[in-house]
Formats: sequence, C-alpha cells, structure tokens
Amino acid sequence: MKPDRGSLPLLLPAGGVFLGLFFLPMAGLFIESFRLYQPGSIGSAANAPFTLTNYAELLTPAFADFFLETMRISLLASLAGLLFAFPLAYWITRRFSPRGRAIAVGFFVTLMFLSVLVRTYALELTFGATGPLRPFLQALGIALNGRPYIETLVGGGLLHYIVPMATLTLLGTIQNVDPRLVDAAQALGAPGWKAHLTITVPLCMRGLLAAFLFAFTFSISAFVIPMILGKGRVLFISNLVYNRFSEIADYPSGAAISMVLFFVALAIVYVTSRQVNKRWTS
Amino acid sequence: MTRLTRRQTLKSAVATAAVTVFGGALGSIRPAAAATDITAVEWGGDVVTAMKQIEAKQDKVKVNWVLHQGGSGAILPKIKATWPKAEYDYVAGWEGSFNGMIKEDWLVPVTVETVPNLADIPKKIIVKDAKGEWMAVPRAVGGIYFAYRKDISPVEVKSIEDLFAPSLKGKVVWPGPTQSMMLQIVALALHAGGNEKNMDPGWALMKKLAQTGNIGRIAVTDTDFTTSLTSGETAVGFFSEPQLTAVAKSFPLVRLTKQEGMPTFLYQSGFAIFKNRPNLKATLEFVNFCISPEMSNLYAEVAGEAPLNVKSKTPDALKHLAFTPAEMDKYVYVPDFNVVLSQQDAWTKRWENEIAPLL
Repeated sequence: MKPDRGSLPLLLPAGGVFLGLFFLPMAGLFIESFRLYQPGSIGSAANAPFTLTNYAELLTPAFADFFLETMRISLLASLAGLLFAFPLAYWITRRFSPRGRAIAVGFFVTLMFLSVLVRTYALELTFGATGPLRPFLQALGIALNGRPYIETLVGGGLLHYIVPMATLTLLGTIQNVDPRLVDAAQALGAPGWKAHLTITVPLCMRGLLAAFLFAFTFSISAFVIPMILGKGRVLFISNLVYNRFSEIADYPSGAAISMVLFFVALAIVYVTSRQVNKRWTS
Repeated sequence: MTRLTRRQTLKSAVATAAVTVFGGALGSIRPAAAATDITAVEWGGDVVTAMKQIEAKQDKVKVNWVLHQGGSGAILPKIKATWPKAEYDYVAGWEGSFNGMIKEDWLVPVTVETVPNLADIPKKIIVKDAKGEWMAVPRAVGGIYFAYRKDISPVEVKSIEDLFAPSLKGKVVWPGPTQSMMLQIVALALHAGGNEKNMDPGWALMKKLAQTGNIGRIAVTDTDFTTSLTSGETAVGFFSEPQLTAVAKSFPLVRLTKQEGMPTFLYQSGFAIFKNRPNLKATLEFVNFCISPEMSNLYAEVAGEAPLNVKSKTPDALKHLAFTPAEMDKYVYVPDFNVVLSQQDAWTKRWENEIAPLL
C-alpha cells in the first residue's frame, strides 16, 4: 500500500520529537563514547581526541560476566513472567464475565501505574533486612545475605513489573484465538492440555514474543530494582552505566557501555523476532 | 432563616476579592523584605537536620534544601550539565568534590573579609587552588573508620585480620566503589604494607575478603550503610562519621578510631560557594553564620562531626575524634588526596573487574 502523501505532514511532529529526543542524544552519546577521558575531570574535554580505549576496556572477563549476569537474570525473569502471565490472561479472557474482565484489566492497569520504586521498596521491606518474613526465611535455613537469595529477590522485583505488563499484552492475543478450534480438537479426542499446547500456544506465539520482548528489554535496562534489592552485589549493566556517569563522571566510558548495551539489545530483538517469525510463519 | 440578597452577595464577593488580592500582595512583599532565598545542597539525615536548626536561628536567609544523591561526586555532572548557569548557591562536600569543582573553575574564592569567622578556622585545613586562594569554607571534621555493633557482632574486632573470621559470614557491610573515596582499600593496603601509591597489597587483601563471603552488603548510599547496621543485617563496617553516629544513637557501637593497625582517616566537611548566583552576599553571610562558635557547637551536637572553629567545644560524644599529637601519628593516616582523587576512575574499574565478580 502506497502512503498517502497528503498525510505525511501529520508524521512531522512525532518525527521531530523522535529526532530531538532520541536520535540527537544518542548521536551525542555515540560520539562521547569515542572521546579520551582524563581522570579527575568531569566528562571529556570539548576538544578531547578520539580513541577506542573506552571500548577496549570492556573486553574483559569481568565485563562479560556483568553482561551475562544481566542477561541471565533478565531472561529467567522474563520467561517466568510469561509462565505466570499466560494462564492469567487466558483465564481472564475465557473464564471471566465481562464485568470480571473489566475489573481484572483495571487491576493490572493500576499495577502498571504503581511506581517501580514503590514496588521495589515494598519487596525490600517484606523480604529484606527488616522484613517480617526474615525470621521465617532464616528458620528455613535460607541465607539472606547469600547470593542465590539476592538474585532471586532481584528476579522477584522484575516479575513485579513483568507479570502485569505481559498479562495485558496477552489479553488481545488470546482474545483473537477462536475458542472453537480447541473445542473441535477436544471433540475429536485430544486431551485438554494437548489441545492447548498444539493450538492455543502456537496461535499466540507472536503475542508471546511481543510480551517476552517487552519484558526482556525492560529487565536488561532495569536500574532501580538491582540497585535496591541487589545489595550492591548483584549489578546490572545499567548500574555500571550510572556509576560511570554519576559517581566518577567518566562520561566516555559510561557512553561506551550504554552503546554496547543498546546494540546488544537491538541484536537480541532482531534475532528473536526473526527466528520466531520464520518458525511460526512456516 | 437569614436570607442573603443579591446586593449582599456582591458586596461580600468584592470584599473577599479585595482581601485576597491586597492581602496576598502585602503578604508577598513582607517575606521578600525579611529573607533572601538561597538554594543549598546538603547531606541527608542528621546533617540536614542540623543545618535546618541553624537556619532557624537566623532570619536573613531562607534556604531551599536539596539533598545529595549518592556520593559527593554525584552532584558534579548535574552542575556541569547546566553550567555556566549555576543552580545552587552552595554545595556541601569535602576535599574530594571541592577539588573537582576547583578544576572546573566554578567556585568563588573566600577570604576573612568575606567570611570573617574563617579567622577562627585553622588555615592549614582550608582547601586552596593552584594560586593559593581559599576555595571552600570548612565547617567540621569527621572520621572514616572501622566500627562494629558490640551487641550482635560474633567477634570482638581488634584488627583487620578479624574481618576474615568465619563467624562473620555475611556480617560485614562494606562501602561501594564510589563511597568513601575508596579509603577502605587504602586501609587494607596500609595493613598489608602498601599505601595509596602502592595499592596492590590492598587489592590482594580485598580479593581475599570478598572470597570469604563475609561481606553481606555493599553500601552504595549512606542510608544503605546505616540501615544495614541498625537492622542487624550486618554487624561490622567501615564508613564515615555521620552514618556511624546515627547507628551509635540507638546501638552500642565500638568505634575503632584508636585501634592500632586499623587506620582512621580524617576529612573536612564544608561549603563550596558558587559563582554566577544572584545572592552571593547572602550566601557568604549565611555560611559565615554557620561556622560561628555557637553554630559550630550546634552542628557538632546534631550532625556528629567535630567542630573546626577554635572557639567552639568538641562534645563528649565526639571524643573518639579528639587526638593528641602522639595519637594522631599512631592512629590517623592522612593520604595524599591528589593521588586518591586522580585514581578514583581507575580504582572503580578495578573494583568492577576484580572484586565485584567475587561478591
């Protein structure tokens, strides 16, 4: 379909905003990432020479570990989020009355309005050092200062946001699947679980991919959740970026890490979308 | 029943409007004549409480308080982003952040003429620029040192070696890489035979400490540190005076400022006064008032940092920061801050590469 030329000017305001608020700052960040940083100064000098040092510094096993840790926790939280969100969305779409559905959607939308900071501190106050569950968890033999517990808590913080977001994303997807297909499969003798796995899930795959990508991109760029729940020991890439910019004022290094994170996130979105489209279109 | 006529309604509406307009105008004139507004960046907790009490003791200046987020250096990029438009009249900090501001040429030099109470502050401690001009106003001195909660610590900490005790698993709260200017690693380096210019022994010891699993929390903010110790999550730590004072208010805290082999660092806290601000005179007057003997006493009592004004009195609660010359030589280590500051970037990266993966 050819775009209607007359409607093109309507895109200009949005295009202008995108250019001014996204492309230009990102271009500035990209240039900054190649500037030489003098220790002790605040950011790079206006005439600082260009260098690849900021990227070379990232070629270390430790940085790879930070990256993998961010990816691992984000991936697990996103998959767990989908696991919880899919049945929830299915239940709301298929089993709830129209009034119940409206209430459920309103509830999840309200959850999305709740600040990440509020949710994170709620978790910290419940499961953290001063939380009421502390004696109970200790009695179960869980080391509250142990790394597995801290990582689980960070994952829990991510789930707090992922579950409502993924549930809302999946509502429309499940709504669009004709329920008679599952009924037909069951009428022909397929057990309920098999009918869902072979009909509902494949037909929802694009929606699941969208929900996963939302959840995953949110998770890998999470900052507040690992900062508060990670006890300074579980660090995401965003926390390193913050340290570079805000604490030691090494803007070029912060910009280089940001660029790497940006391009890796783009690559993951591209590869995942491509693979899912290829597999499920055929 | 009383009936309200249209005329009465109009009269009362006009009267109400007149009171609102003229009363509001008069109201807005009065405070402008009484106090000048300034914006200041301060530390949270007891420090800002002390400063608010000082503000209440005078009526020439009304302060809009902004709090530091993170370490003292975190404010610098925010200032640079808006410079030459300065948003703050003064920023509280210490040698570390002051030197960064001096390099950027943001500060107003101070003299005894502009801040008369500087005459009662030891000259040696005042931060200077390359030309020897005074560039910040010191208000107090604090310590950065090791301490532990006597009621919950499983060991009586007497040396850095005790931090490695297996019974302290998860019980140590340690400053993050951007806290305390990394003096915690300098302390370890000193223990292992190095110093701020030879940090390898300190890093080796830090790795060993991280591997023990004794570090339960890395404090990335000052509240992290206080909350961790007061909640009992951890029992031993290394941090600066106001946070340790906050813990000591409610729990028995052993402050290891005079323990051989556990170095104490002293820092000055003070005010950096900014150029390009409309109310410079009022800011200088307020800062001068803050370092007067009486206000220095008040600040010391509430904020828990020892006063620098020679006419003020160190409270009993801060006696652990009063050193005789012999004690000063024995327990206090004064690092070369130029080296410490120039290494912050490299040390933070080294922390991320070598220590963070072990935690």
